[in-house]
Parts: sequence; structure tokens; C-alpha cells
Amino acid sequence: MIGFFLTRLFSALLVVFGVTLIVFLLLHLVPGDPVEVMLGEMAQPADREALRHALGLDLPLWQQVLNSFGQLLRFDFGQSLFTKQPIVEMLAERIPATVQLALAGLAVALVLAFPLGILAALNRGSRWDYGAMTFSLLGVSIPNFWMGPLLILFFSVMLGWFPVSGKEGFASLVLPALTLGTALAAILSRMIRATLIEVLGEDYIRTARAKGMSEAVVILRHALRNALLPTITLIGLQLGTLLAGAVITEAVFSWPGLGQLTIDSIHRRDYPVVQACILLISVTYVVVNTLTDLVYGWLDPRIRLAGRAS
Amino acid sequence: MWLIVALCAALVAGCQPRDDGTWRFGLASAPLNLDPRFATDASSVRVNALIYERLVEFDAQSMPIPSLGAWDALTPTHYRVTLRTPRDVFHNGEPLTSRDVEATYRFVLDPVNSSPHRGALTIIDKIVAPNDEQVDFFLTAPDPIFPARLTLGIVPARLIASGHRFQNSPLGSGPFKFAERPDENRLRVIRSADNQPVEFITVKDPTVRVLKLLRGEIGMTQNDLQPELVRYLEDQGGIDVIRAPGTNFSYLGFNMQDPVLSRRGVREAIARGIDRNAIIQHMWGGAARRAGALLPPEHWAGTADVPNYDYDPEGARRLLKQAGYGADKPLKLTYKTSSDAFRVRLATIIQDQLKRIGIDIEIQSYDWATFYGDIKAGRFQLFSLSWVGVKSPDIFRYVFHSQSFPPEGANRGRFSDSHADYLIEAAEQGLSLEEQAHYYRLLQFYLSYQLPYVPLWFEDHVYAGRDGFRGYAIAPDGNFSALRDVLWVGKTHAD
Repeated sequence: MIGFFLTRLFSALLVVFGVTLIVFLLLHLVPGDPVEVMLGEMAQPADREALRHALGLDLPLWQQVLNSFGQLLRFDFGQSLFTKQPIVEMLAERIPATVQLALAGLAVALVLAFPLGILAALNRGSRWDYGAMTFSLLGVSIPNFWMGPLLILFFSVMLGWFPVSGKEGFASLVLPALTLGTALAAILSRMIRATLIEVLGEDYIRTARAKGMSEAVVILRHALRNALLPTITLIGLQLGTLLAGAVITEAVFSWPGLGQLTIDSIHRRDYPVVQACILLISVTYVVVNTLTDLVYGWLDPRIRLAGRAS
Repeated sequence: MWLIVALCAALVAGCQPRDDGTWRFGLASAPLNLDPRFATDASSVRVNALIYERLVEFDAQSMPIPSLGAWDALTPTHYRVTLRTPRDVFHNGEPLTSRDVEATYRFVLDPVNSSPHRGALTIIDKIVAPNDEQVDFFLTAPDPIFPARLTLGIVPARLIASGHRFQNSPLGSGPFKFAERPDENRLRVIRSADNQPVEFITVKDPTVRVLKLLRGEIGMTQNDLQPELVRYLEDQGGIDVIRAPGTNFSYLGFNMQDPVLSRRGVREAIARGIDRNAIIQHMWGGAARRAGALLPPEHWAGTADVPNYDYDPEGARRLLKQAGYGADKPLKLTYKTSSDAFRVRLATIIQDQLKRIGIDIEIQSYDWATFYGDIKAGRFQLFSLSWVGVKSPDIFRYVFHSQSFPPEGANRGRFSDSHADYLIEAAEQGLSLEEQAHYYRLLQFYLSYQLPYVPLWFEDHVYAGRDGFRGYAIAPDGNFSALRDVLWVGKTHAD
């Protein structure tokens, strides 16, 4: 298990390094100059050069890369080019909101997906199955920028149950979590249905039934546990996406999360903020996926053994 | 079960719009910088104008009028500003003196501080505050419109010296004082005259902003609403919608170094091929007015008599034929615009209209920084953009003078014309505003003929608010100064 963990850790560090480097290079290659954005067109050329020098943007690219990585290794993210606010402070303001929304969205997804997936698998070809899969199809098909305003119109404006947008108390979390969770539930429920149907056809399920076990025990203890493996992988991947910031949902609900900060900073070419955000996002992805792999390995000893053998 | 019902009831009860007496104003983008020495984005400039006072304001003709101070031109290169009485005070109780004015302007002029406003003030040679009431500005050259440049929000000299972070803790002498900024999307200020709290809430999505207004979560909002949303709001009870002519100028720009577009006949064909009246009527819902020049007609240097190019598809086709294009040899052009959905829609309409006269347009939309970078670098044939908040006619130098190609200025189309240069320079050397206005008007006539831009329209300003609010008068430049006078006469503050 330790070897498995160390291998994963090493590849994770490589991924983080690679992503950060690629993002840095891409940001500097695309058109757009933070100095232009900061000073405007009417600035004097000398002022532009002075600011470019002050920000270190006049250095050769390789030197900027080295400086940037040196700072990141010291956990010194610097400050925003625009607001002059320390980036650590900016991230600290955003991360709790993002985590809150991601976990709430995931909770909604799990609460919806498991009953729907199990119901559809156990009643394959029935109205329950078609109903659940229709919901799933709708959830996958309706984009969040449409679902969000629909939920707002119904639950906020017509019924007056929840705030339209903003982050003020638990109530303001409900609609964004529903928006995020519904789409994720749709994907998960399809996965649970498909894997459960496959598992239910296995010999050991027939054996369990032949032994006289109750259907509930067969489903919950034997079938569902085995059907969980691919679902956990999917949950891990989706959680990584959610923690990276649900950009559209955050925009619709004015949710002050990491996704909005990243997008706004890209538009402004606020390089240090973008780099810090991307680093954080890639670390989050890697950590979540590494944890998923570890859980996967823990759940299924064949994976550990295969890793050792290879 | 009962516990769940009770929880839901509590949740719902807690979800009614707050009625704590605070007025909430919806913004499309968050103010990025609350330090007036650095702020450039429209949202920051408008909010800062409430917190910090400036030496001058502007009237409906964009003429500077005294605000914190009145000026005298002692010589063409020496302006004396005298602060008004009774003396203004900062929100911390300190009196605002000429030392604060001097320190604010000195800070911006110091290249070390990299202020984006320095470029507009480099004509200042020296600033001297002989006493607490007066500031002398000495210029490097005569500049009759110099007072129009005195638009910096004044901050206390003592805090400048101590390196105070105005971005986090703004302190000015304006009609509103800073209260708190819980997060980037919320900014609370208090109206000094009656301690009325006002909260600016950033809601980027215009549809959501409208829904928030309908539910009473915000009481007012201004601009950045798509025309169909404005029409929807006008049909809703309990909402007042006010429109007012604006000065934001939209145009279609040409790359004058492009072999095709350097031909005036082709540019005129494009100008005649765009049905601006139809776009204004159907796309804008009438919330815009046709533009003939960069300055609106009511501007002190503007004119309503500039020849305009009416929609004339036959004439456009004839001009294209003269230029060697027709059904057998269609003209193909690329049109760059930002990725803003509304701008892309406008581009597709223009694409369709130009298709009818035989021009195939390929639309290329990019995120703002990429688009802007391409325009500045001259990587385009056609593009559309707007000039926002133009007050001073010296913008003509930045936009049309042959020495103003980027990065020296904003002559994005690389328009190079010796007569236009002469008119710009003659206007700048005019010793009176009348003389300057004369040359600037001649310039606008000349530009209308040369067509480095196709002037499209001036967008209206649109305010929407709960019908309990009274006295909101939209400023010509779209600032939020009306908040100084607005009153609530409804039942509750929230709805």
C-alpha cells in the first residue's frame, strides 16, 4: 500500500508541476497585456515600461518562469496586479465558498442519484426505470445557465422561498446546490443503474439468492458494494471539478467562489492570481483523484495486487 | 417529519428579502479599485465619485463646472483653483485643504507610483499650494480645457504620506462614506446627509439582476440590461424604468492599412449597407440614438450637422461594383468582436445586412483581453467597440492623429491623414474654447467624409427601480450621482 501511495504521490507532483508550467506559458503566449489593461490606452509609453519593469514582465520568459516557481515553492503567491490585495487573502475568501457549494452539490447529487439509480436498475424496463432515466436525461441535457434561472424564477420569484442570488446564510446555498447537484445526479444515477444491472447478473448474486438471503441484503451488501467501484471513480472526478469552481453556477448565483475568481483574473490577465488559482485547482484535482485511487485500492484488493505485480 | 416541516418553515421565513432600511443597488461588475488614484474601470469610477469629491464636475454639455473648487486662468499656462467655502471635510473629520489636492495630484504625477491617470495630466509642470485654500497648477503649454482634467478624487495628504490602503479602507469627502466591504460582490456605503445605508451588490448575470429586482432583493439598478429585459421590466407592475440619452459611442472600425479597406468607396459601401435605424428599433428596442460623430451633438464641441450615411443598399452595391466587387467576385472580410453575447448578436445582424449588399463577413469573437490585444496590434479588418465616458475633445488626438498609433495612442485603425492631423493640432492650439470647438467641428465633418469609423449609435442609459424610489435622474455620463438625492416613499425599504 505504501508503494502504491508513493507512486501516486510522485505522479501527482509531476502533474501539478506540468499543469502550472503549461498554464504559465499559455498565459504569456495569448494576446493581451496586463499593463495595457491596468494603465489604459492613454498611458505614456514610459509609464508602461516602468510598470512592466516593476512587475517583472520585462524579464525573459524563462526568468519569469523561474521566479514564479521560486515564489510558489515558498508559498509566496504575491499580490493581485489589479487590486493589490495579497493573493492568499483572495484565495482564503473564496475557498470556503467553493468547498461549501461543492459539498452541498455533491450531497444533493448523492441523495438523488442512489435512489434513482437503484430504483431504475431493480425495475429495469418499467415505468420507474423510464421515469428515472428521463429525469437523468433532462438533468444531463439542461445546462446550468438555464437550470439556474428556472429554479430562481420558480422558487425565488414565484414562491419566494429562497434568495435569488448571493451568499447570505444557508438558504442562499439551496438553489446553487440544486443546480449543481441535479446535473451531477443525472450522471451518477445512470452510472449506478448500469453497473448495478451488470452486477445483478453475476453468478455470486444468484448464489446469494439461492442461499436464501433477503433481497435487501443481496442488493445492499453484495450488489451495491461491487457496483460502487466505478461510481466512486466518477464521484472523485466530479468532486474535483466542483472544487475547481463551478464557474457558470457561481456566475448565475453571484456565488463568490474560486471559479469566478479564476475566470475574472484570466480576462484581466492578472497573471499571479491566475497562476495561484490554477495551482490550487490542479492540486485539488490531484489530491481528490489520488484519494479516489487509494479508496479504490482499499475497496478492491485486486488493484493493489496488480500494482505490486507490475 | 414535523421537525423537517418546522425546519423548512424556518428556512422559508428566513428567506424573505431583508428590510433593514438599506437600499440595495445592483451592479453588473464589481468595483475593482476603491482608490481613485488607480481606478479605471467604469464601476470603480462611478462608485468612487460618490466617496471622493473632485475639483470639477461636468454639465450636460460636458463642460467642466466647479465642484470642490473654482478655477481662474491667471495666464494660459497658470490655473489657480480656490476651494469652496464652507470648507469640506473628510469623513474622518479632518478638513480638506489645498495640501490634500496638491498631494493627490503629486502622487499621480510621480512615475514611481504608476498611476493610470498620469498620462492625462502630464501637461502639469508644477503644483504649488500657497495657502490652505488655493492650489496653483503651472502647465507646460496653454490648454484651455485643462480644468476638465481635474477629475481625480481627492484623498487626505496625511494618509498618502503614511501609505494608507484606500483600496481596503476608502476615505474621501464625498456625499457617501465607506462602511464595509464584506466581500468583492458587496460594498456598503452610508449617505452622509441622512445616514441612509446603501449597498452595492454585484450580480453579473443581467437576467438574475432583473429577477432580484422583481423580488425586492435589490431596489435599483442601472445599465447593462439587454433590451428585451428592459421591455420585460417595463411590463412589470411595481417597477419604474427610466431611459435617458447616453454618450457611450459605438462604432465600426476599419483597418486603414488593409488593401481593401484603405479604399474609401468600400468603406462608404459598408456605411451605406448597415441599416442602423432597424438595429436601433428592433435590437435596441429604441434605446439608442444614431451617431454621426464621436462626440454627441449636445457636447460643447459636438455638432448635429455632420453628414450621415443613410441605409442605401442600392448605392452600396453600386460603390462595391465600382471597386471591382460583385456577385462574381464577392468581397470577403473578417469582423472581430468580443465574446459578449449581445455584441456577437449585433455582429451577426451587421453580417446579415452586409451579406445583402454582397459582402461576406466572417465573425471572430474572442475573450476581451485577446480581442483587445488583436485590435491594438492591428490584427483585424473590421471591429466594433465603444468609447465610454468621453468628455474632452482631446480624445480626437488619441483616436485619429497619425502619431497615435498604438501603443502611443488609440488610433487602432492606423488612420493617417495630414489634414486630420492639421485640424487636431489647430484645435489644440486654439486659445479659447470657441476656437477649439470650431476646429473640432471641422474635424468631425472631415472624418465623416473619410470614414475611418462608421459611427453607429449612442446607447441610452437605462435605470430600473422599485416604484417607491423617487428622484432618480440619470446623469448624462451614467454616473450614480442621483443617489445623493433619491428618496424612498414606499411602504418598506425592501419592497
